[in-house]
Amino acid sequence: MESLFAQLVVLESSLVLIFGLVLLWRRRVPAYVSAFTWQSLVLGAVALTVGWFGRERELYFIGGLLVLVKGVAIPRLLGRMERRFASEREIAPYVNTATSLLVAGLLVLFGYAIMRPVVAASDLPTRAGMPLAMGLVLVSLFVVVSRKKALTQVVGFLMLENGIALLAILGTYGIPLIVELGVFLDALMGFLVMQIFVYRIHSTFETIDVDQLDRLRH
Amino acid sequence: MTLDTPLAAGLAMIAAYLAGAAGAVILPGSRAGRVVAAAGAIAGATAGVVLAAGVLATGHAFALHVPALLPTGGGLALRLDGLGAFFLALVGVGAAPAALFGVGYSAGYAGRYSLRWLGAMLNVFLLAMSLVTLADNVLTFVLLWEAMSLASYFLVMTEHEQPDTVAAGAWYLAMTHVGLALILVAFVLLMPPGAGSAFADLRARAIALSPAIRNVVFVLAVVGFGSKAGLVPLHVWLPRAHPAAPSHVSALMSGVMVKLGVYGMLRFALDLLGVGPAWWGALLIGLGAASALIGILYALMEDDLKRLLAYSTVENVGLITIGVGAGLLFASLREETSAALALAAALYHALNHTVFKSLLFLGAGSVVHATGRRDMNRLGGLIRRLPWTAACFLVGSLAIAGLPPLNGFVSEWLLFQSLLPAIGSPAPLVAPVMTLAVGALALTAGLAAAGFVKAFGITFLAVPRSPEAEHAHEAPATMRAAMAFLAVGCGVLGVAALTVLPRLAALLAGYAGLAAAPPVLTLGPSLALPDGFGSMSPPLLGLGLALGAAGVWLAVRLGAARGLRVGATWGCGRIGQTPRMEYTSTSYAEPLRRVFAEVYRPTEDLTIDVHPESRYFVQSIAYRSEIVPWFERYVYGPLVARVTGWAARTRALQSGSVHAYLAYLVIALLVLLAISLAWND
Repeated sequence: MESLFAQLVVLESSLVLIFGLVLLWRRRVPAYVSAFTWQSLVLGAVALTVGWFGRERELYFIGGLLVLVKGVAIPRLLGRMERRFASEREIAPYVNTATSLLVAGLLVLFGYAIMRPVVAASDLPTRAGMPLAMGLVLVSLFVVVSRKKALTQVVGFLMLENGIALLAILGTYGIPLIVELGVFLDALMGFLVMQIFVYRIHSTFETIDVDQLDRLRH
Repeated sequence: MTLDTPLAAGLAMIAAYLAGAAGAVILPGSRAGRVVAAAGAIAGATAGVVLAAGVLATGHAFALHVPALLPTGGGLALRLDGLGAFFLALVGVGAAPAALFGVGYSAGYAGRYSLRWLGAMLNVFLLAMSLVTLADNVLTFVLLWEAMSLASYFLVMTEHEQPDTVAAGAWYLAMTHVGLALILVAFVLLMPPGAGSAFADLRARAIALSPAIRNVVFVLAVVGFGSKAGLVPLHVWLPRAHPAAPSHVSALMSGVMVKLGVYGMLRFALDLLGVGPAWWGALLIGLGAASALIGILYALMEDDLKRLLAYSTVENVGLITIGVGAGLLFASLREETSAALALAAALYHALNHTVFKSLLFLGAGSVVHATGRRDMNRLGGLIRRLPWTAACFLVGSLAIAGLPPLNGFVSEWLLFQSLLPAIGSPAPLVAPVMTLAVGALALTAGLAAAGFVKAFGITFLAVPRSPEAEHAHEAPATMRAAMAFLAVGCGVLGVAALTVLPRLAALLAGYAGLAAAPPVLTLGPSLALPDGFGSMSPPLLGLGLALGAAGVWLAVRLGAARGLRVGATWGCGRIGQTPRMEYTSTSYAEPLRRVFAEVYRPTEDLTIDVHPESRYFVQSIAYRSEIVPWFERYVYGPLVARVTGWAARTRALQSGSVHAYLAYLVIALLVLLAISLAWND
């Protein structure tokens, strides 16, 4: 029973990370949005798994919320933005695909190195997934830094949020509900603000290429 | 639960200031808003004085600890002891007339600048200044200190559309934050590791510290608080920021806020650190003497009335610091009576300076209100147009010049008397230091008299030099009442020295290096010094002067019966008198400019246009003379240039690329994680 729980958690965490890596080799926004959707759904599944095996009733609620907000609502908004900027695709990021994948691999290794003491100290069955969550956080940060289009960066930020949520679920079986709700609201508000910014950037610069923002410097 | 009086007064003080601030925010621009803001400030000031008087009368400290507020720093801790109570009373004495004056004065800002924030910030500023004197742990003190600095910064920035104001604000902000940084370091060095940060913990810790660390703490505190007090060479912000602020705020900054710098030094030296080596006192005497001399020398050369007053504040803070330094020096030599006398003289002068400098700044405000000008070369003849202002300004000038029977005379006399006996002291270092201090004090007192003859004479006497001065009008009743209150205060604090001085000595009793019982400083109707060195009776002196004045008046009246002729003063037989024939501010100061040419290094520029036919017919003469501002040119100029240079170099980091900024963040995160990982192993 215990080992089934651990294996399921590692499997699902790996899936969450792999959906994050999609951003590194695909170039089209719809692919990003579907990767994010799948990632969020798997994250919801992680919450349900931990809730079932760990007997944490609250996690069902959180899993449901994850699916609703990040698996349905945000992808829909992202889709709408994507159609608006359909002509714009991620061209020539700062770091090419091969190097990006190499860097992502190194970052995941670094995540393992950072989390080693935590994993060693923990006796939770979910501990093996925590380095993967940290890896996702680092890879998402890398996506935000290295990609030029604002929309890609938004997806990177949302995946960063997913990584943090995953870490919270695995590390502590979920944080208190009120905090969790606060984080949800925070992510949603952050997303809405970013959405407005993307529209403004587009209307000002005729592009959502963030690279152009350095024209603001005087 | 019964509410005891000090607690009620303390809460009333806080509530009144907050109500005044709220009133100014809710009712902006209207007369009601201005009145509510001033009423809140006056009520708060009164409650503060009541609280302080209670503590001073009973000798019991008032303490209030609210752990729920600021839970991380040991809670909000307020405690009012004798030293704090004196400065709280001083804040109240300066605040009430300034707020009253503000009712009429700030009417001129309506429609141009934000009256809402002027009224609100004034109350916040006063509240922060009042509470600083009560702070009893590090976090409370630092927060209130910073609130005071920021509120006063916003007040300085009231006329934010003037470029000079913005520059003055930047100077002030930079200086006050350098000061705060040093104060913070001083506190951190004093804080016991692991234990609390209440002042009681600091006191206990100071005893255990090594002498080297105590010296460092003392020097940091002197420099940090000195930047607020305006000690040379940290005085450069005063002549910029004080004139830029609205005049009643200038009065508060010059009259009250700089004293809190002195309060900080006293809190460290007398309370937290305990008795130190003799050079602490000598250092303060040296800084004080330099400030006094340099302050008054620059004041003499000023043409701007408010800048003159600001430089004079540097001078007076110097005098106070000399007294404090002498007190610390005597305390370290175990001469408790002399120490108490010198410190009491310093506190007395601090209180007196609050009264007369507030009065003078309000008078200058009234002049600005009437004419819109601060340049004395454009004023003149205002005594006929602003008789109330002129009378009050004259009282303030006489007081600051140290003439009997006004308050400035008494405290300067006491300062002299506390220093003079030590000239024959056998202890090393003391005799030369004291001799220099007495010399500086004497020179300063003389120059101050010259400076205020100039301030009053050029501004109020003779014939107006500009149309604005010609058509000046007297200030409204609120402004006149505020000035009259302070002018009466100058007289009362002078004559009532017999009651004030023993109280000052009593409140100091028991602090580090001072006897538990205050020394006896009065004998019958006189102030009598303990070793019989000197004595003086302010009431009798006042009486004698009053009788003398009455005699002169009587003689003039009797003379008038035999026919009094009224003629132009210094008419010299000329028929037409024009403003161009008058002494100006610049020409009055010319002899001193020559005497102290080594200090001023004046540059002179004389242009004479003559008639083309003959060089004996002069058409116009233009004369300009500027003095070299030493500190600005040789200390701050290079410093500012270097800091700006470094700042420009950091622009290389600012590529404007969002990705670069994000990359900085991520790299910083990864590096920190890697370091923590390496640390862990």
